[in-house]
Amino acid sequence: MKSKPILETRGLGFSYVDGTQALVDVDLSIPAGKKIAFLGPNGAGKTTLFLHFNGLIRPDRGKVYFAGQEVRYDHASLLELRKKVGVVFQDPETQLFSASVRQEISFGPLNLGLPREAVLQRVHKAMQDTGILELQDRPTHFLSYGQKKRVAIADILAMQPEVLICDEPTAWLDVKHAVQIMDLLTEINGEGVTVIISTHDVDLAYSWADYIFIMKSGRVIGEATPECIFYNRRLLEEAELQRPWLLDLYEELQRKGWVSAGLPPKNIRDFLRSIKDKEPA
Amino acid sequence: MLKIDQYAYINRLAHVHPLEKMVLALVTMIICLVFSSPATSLIVILSMAGMVIWLARIPASFFLKLMLAPVAFLLLSVLTVAFVWVKDPAGLLWGFNVGCYTVGVTSRGLITAGALLLKSLGAVACLYFLSLTTPMVDILSVLKALRMPPLFIELMSLVYRFIFVLLDTADKIYTSQASRWGYATLKTSYSSLGQLVSNLFTKASRNYQMLYTTLTSRCYTGELNVLESSHVISRRNILLIILFEAALLLASIHLAGFLTPFAGGAGS
Ligand SMILES: Nc1ncnc2c1ncn2[C@@H]1O[C@H](COP(=O)(O)OP(=O)(O)OP(=O)(O)O)[C@@H](O)[C@H]1O
Ligand SMILES: [Mg+2]
Repeated sequence: MKSKPILETRGLGFSYVDGTQALVDVDLSIPAGKKIAFLGPNGAGKTTLFLHFNGLIRPDRGKVYFAGQEVRYDHASLLELRKKVGVVFQDPETQLFSASVRQEISFGPLNLGLPREAVLQRVHKAMQDTGILELQDRPTHFLSYGQKKRVAIADILAMQPEVLICDEPTAWLDVKHAVQIMDLLTEINGEGVTVIISTHDVDLAYSWADYIFIMKSGRVIGEATPECIFYNRRLLEEAELQRPWLLDLYEELQRKGWVSAGLPPKNIRDFLRSIKDKEPA
Repeated sequence: MLKIDQYAYINRLAHVHPLEKMVLALVTMIICLVFSSPATSLIVILSMAGMVIWLARIPASFFLKLMLAPVAFLLLSVLTVAFVWVKDPAGLLWGFNVGCYTVGVTSRGLITAGALLLKSLGAVACLYFLSLTTPMVDILSVLKALRMPPLFIELMSLVYRFIFVLLDTADKIYTSQASRWGYATLKTSYSSLGQLVSNLFTKASRNYQMLYTTLTSRCYTGELNVLESSHVISRRNILLIILFEAALLLASIHLAGFLTPFAGGAGS
């Protein structure tokens, strides 16, 4: 990819204390300013990789680089890294520590040492962007799962990181809120933030991401733009991934000559547009 | 307990400055305990009930249920005060013989017991007023403003938050066990309950580890800094509280002796 890498790993390896090899020799380079998706079955190592991007675990082997600089593990460097890379965790229940939504969101920005006014402003903006302004006086334990998830995202947005990592942002959300969250992530990306997500949803990854990494058993087994990666049937099979249904449908219709030739559509709207007006022969 | 917490956030007085409510509850409780006259206790119970029901708009039936909860327990302890052992059954309202002694109640003992009961209920009403109208988050922020040790406050706030996480987890485990006949017989119930408890502990400790990780990722350095809620102290409320306490004080002084067990009738 053309743009400069913001996060890179070289020969990254990590095992948990119980001996599980969670990451094996991971070499990757994440382009800045893009929308990135990590796809992979359960236990592929996505979460473990994200923890490395934030310096939350130290690799057994290999190195992590942020903006070309090797990540170091002293206190000051870690704080600096965590200021720039924010992680929204898979389970909001383990991330929310405060009973008050507003206090919860203010935690990150206050740790960055911002003045009170700036913190207030950031908290407000984060709540506005995630659509939780009306929840601000509700205690976190009365929120629904989807609402908690949005608070968890606001937590990190308020820190205004350069890289926003969301571990399964749409898991457990209803369709409406899943779409809202993905639109929000697109919007944030529009402001120049690199957005990285992990997901099991191939359709989502296909239509949302600029670039996709596929992981399995602790390795990155494939990476490409969504247009390319889903044509690699061997790779999909190896990763136990389905093809996006849109792509299957498009290919079938193209074979029958019902849609115009060109790049495959990324979403329903493009797809409908590509369907020829004239009646099929 | 969950319902009390729920009302704390949605009642009409939720937005009043927590310090005002804490002062009101505590001063009233102190007056109630210091005077320990049944008249004062009654006034306290009624006025707290009034505030909870009319001002905070909490259903009267719910408040009544809460007030009745400690009554059974209080009655039991108060009974021991009402009964006396005597050799001479004269002066007893009612009694029965145990050997050469008589166990019975005197009118004085009965009045003391009643006074004690009312006094306890008065104090309980004050505490209910506070917990029904003031969210825990607000109480913590007042404690912080009063310079309580930060460690103590952070611990309290984490415990408060994780009570709910733990309850939720327990609830999920229970449902999943019950749906698989885990509580069908007494025997399976015991073993299911044992598993629930031990599971809860492992889950709690795992939750704690994850929480530490997620806090660390947000630049946690050992202090849970959060924005304090910005309630404003209302002069009008302060004035009303002072007026109320003054009235309560005056009434208590005036009525001291009225209904009091040892003064032997009305008038001071
Ligand atoms: N705390 C832990 N201790 C031991 N092993 C762990 C721990 N966390 C994860 N693992 C193991 O490491 C491997 C990778 O886990 P990871 O959570 O990174 O996968 P994932 O791709 O995020 O999966 P999912 O899609 O289910 O979230 C798995 O085999 C998992 O069992
Ligand atoms: Mg994961």
